[in-house]
Amino acid sequence: MKREYSERERYLLWLGFVLGPGSKRYFRTLTAFENDAHAMFAAAQKHDLPLECGLKEPILEKLFASATQRYIDGCFKRLAELDVSAAAFESPEYPALLKEIYDPPPILYYRGRLQAEPALSIAVVGSRAPTEYGRRMAHTLSQALAECGACVVSGLAYGVDCIAALGALAAEDNPYPTVAVLGSGVDVVYPAANRDIYAQIIARGAVVSEFLPGTKALPSNFPMRNRIISGLSRGVLVVEAAAKSGTLITVDCALEQGRDVFALPGRITDPKSEGTNALLREGHAKFTLSAEDVLEEYGGWRAVKAQTLSEPENLSLEQAVIRRLLLANERSFDELCELTGFSVPLLNSTLTEMEFSGIIRQSPGRVYSIECVL
Amino acid sequence: MLSKIKSYGLMGIDGFSVSVEVYVSGGLPAYDTVGLPDAAVRESKERVRAAIRNSGFEFPMQRITVNLAPADLRKEGSVYDLPVAIGLLDATGQIRNKTFAEEYLFLGELALDGTVRGVAGILPMVIGAYGQGLRKVIVPLENAAEASYIEGVQVYVAESLKHVVDFLNGEAALMPTPARKWDRARIAYPMDFADIKGQQGAKRAAEIAVAGGHNLLLVGTPGSGKTMLARSIPSILPELTFEEALEITKVHSIAGTLQGTEGMVSERPFRAPHHSASTASLIGGGQRAMPGEISLAHYGVLFLDEFPEFRKDTLEALRQPMEDGSVTIARAATRSTYPADFMLVAAMNPCPCGNYGSRISPCRCTRQQIARYLNRISGPMLDRVDLHVEMSEVGFEDIASRSAGERSETVRARVNAARRVQVLRYKREGILFNAQLTSRMTARFCALDAQAEALLRKAFASLRLSARAYTRILKVSRTIADLEGSEAIRSHHVAEAVQYRSLESKYWGDTRR
Repeated sequence: MKREYSERERYLLWLGFVLGPGSKRYFRTLTAFENDAHAMFAAAQKHDLPLECGLKEPILEKLFASATQRYIDGCFKRLAELDVSAAAFESPEYPALLKEIYDPPPILYYRGRLQAEPALSIAVVGSRAPTEYGRRMAHTLSQALAECGACVVSGLAYGVDCIAALGALAAEDNPYPTVAVLGSGVDVVYPAANRDIYAQIIARGAVVSEFLPGTKALPSNFPMRNRIISGLSRGVLVVEAAAKSGTLITVDCALEQGRDVFALPGRITDPKSEGTNALLREGHAKFTLSAEDVLEEYGGWRAVKAQTLSEPENLSLEQAVIRRLLLANERSFDELCELTGFSVPLLNSTLTEMEFSGIIRQSPGRVYSIECVL
Repeated sequence: MLSKIKSYGLMGIDGFSVSVEVYVSGGLPAYDTVGLPDAAVRESKERVRAAIRNSGFEFPMQRITVNLAPADLRKEGSVYDLPVAIGLLDATGQIRNKTFAEEYLFLGELALDGTVRGVAGILPMVIGAYGQGLRKVIVPLENAAEASYIEGVQVYVAESLKHVVDFLNGEAALMPTPARKWDRARIAYPMDFADIKGQQGAKRAAEIAVAGGHNLLLVGTPGSGKTMLARSIPSILPELTFEEALEITKVHSIAGTLQGTEGMVSERPFRAPHHSASTASLIGGGQRAMPGEISLAHYGVLFLDEFPEFRKDTLEALRQPMEDGSVTIARAATRSTYPADFMLVAAMNPCPCGNYGSRISPCRCTRQQIARYLNRISGPMLDRVDLHVEMSEVGFEDIASRSAGERSETVRARVNAARRVQVLRYKREGILFNAQLTSRMTARFCALDAQAEALLRKAFASLRLSARAYTRILKVSRTIADLEGSEAIRSHHVAEAVQYRSLESKYWGDTRR
């Protein structure tokens, strides 16, 4: 969609185009001109920028060279070509929550529809290579949150990030289910495999980034991105994190920014849950067992439906036996075969029927477990 | 001064009769071989010369011309040594019998001392010659066994050149080898299904695969017993028929891999090429377009362990023979068609480190690594494998406690019964088992009742299956029903078949996330 830019935005964005990502330099420079970007543009045209800007030689050269209307028009034209919009700090769609943080990005590039004040935004973060448990939880919790009207913020990387986005997108009634924050330019889909999810997010939510379009996904970009993920959200839900996970950077940002942190407990023997369990032990995060646990922190929000693990009806004898076994622990096909004593054909067909009825699920290694709905 | 001897040449598994013409004339001593001989044929003159002299005959100091007719087909190998030597002796009047040339077919290589050595491809040559009306063949001792299975052919064993000439002159006896009846030997299999502890699910999949001739993919962590299961599959394969054995033997005769057999292959071949195999070695090829592993596995099992480690182009080259059941190798000079109706058993780890999905030792691979590994197996390749099965991980303490299950003999009895049902059902269709069903036949023979249909529809929605997977599931359901002795395919048959298709969406569908 084509966005019109006001005169004031025009020069605020110009400064952002030239200076690139990062908060400090932008706002210091702007303060020197009492937040009047147009005045600064005029000064740059005359090659006359005061020392208070504290800008170094090469960047000054760049500012002088780009202080033309043609340059700005060129930039806007390019943005329109890429179907990317830009929101300056003062723009109406710039997220209100993000303005509160210490170092907000001066400009947010985005695709899709960016809302300044979504109903309730919750970040869902976690490991890039989650366990089966982590995957399921990320999906179910995100979906539950989005079904209650919340907006799920995530990073669109592998693992929990994109599963959270998918979970949120599964809430079909939510008009603004998810926002993804990228560590690359908004037009660069990284990892490329997430292209369909990317397209779905643009259609219903927004993909945002502080980086200029076309920026590659450099490893150094990701910590900067993480502060935006937490900055956009009122709470951060950690699904699964190892002891030294990058996810914990987001948690640190959230704690600095005064945002709530929620963590899902894992088994204490599971290295993939060490980080989350540590957060819980140290009291940094709220013990979270369901979407309800997150929502109750924000008055007025309630889970649409209280979901419990109810006894499914009309189970055959075989199905009941298998269900009882799996309630205690997940089991491989071989173990089920030993424990039940059923013939392989019988076990195979029973398992298929139970899978399709949504009672159990199969994961890699041919391990079966109870499909649990939170 | 002119002699014509009958011999035989091969092109693929079929051949053509070769007339070896030897002309000895006056002039300066010379020896020319014409008729598109390859290097081995051209070299035969040295062997022939030495063998003739060392057998006590006279080698003519005249102009010798050897023509191998038809002159426009390539002649390969050392099989023409014996016919050329006989022709030379006949042309120089050293054989008194003047009528033998019409009656006998000569095949064999000569040693310098006149001994006759074995050659590859005797069985298809003898079968071909029989088809053209010849009833008496003279073959090397090594090859007598394979030739003696052809009913109506008198097989004479040639030990040495001198012996053969004496026989033709009526001075010595060359006893025909007694024609043999093929007797399916009781084979002692090195591995039995009962040796594999646990893994009932995978064993069942192997049983279904064998019963319907389906291809099988085994996925599992290292040490879960993929290779062991694959190697025990021969023990449950259905029994060979004579026609099948003959066709297998033909291929192996050409490849020269009949040593150690009774002249006739009596068990289904099990070929397990290493994953460094080249395309030519697998599919067939080389200068002489020899049969590759897939043809040597004809009517048997081709086991590809570490499936994704095979070169991608090699694997893709398998696709067409898998559809056709035969492979045509075209080279500039030759064009050979070999049968390649094999059952593919492939085994692979779920990821490069092997532990993806393991509950004992966690996987250390990144998503990209896993995706790259799995994507070495292309979708079309995966589609051609009817049964995908995951092996259960075996923990240390499990090994001793697991029950063994049935013996191979019991399973084989069920497989044989299911195969008989199929042969009977497809009598008029020209196929033998369920895996060969075309889509038109599938519609006819794999009708589902309403309940089964509903289940399959559900499976499609939740597993995101392709249209090709649909026919695959139907065929496997057909086999499961056949194993149970049921003519109708019921919903629990489909339910079981679906289990062998769920792997694809779990692994391959997931790599994109």
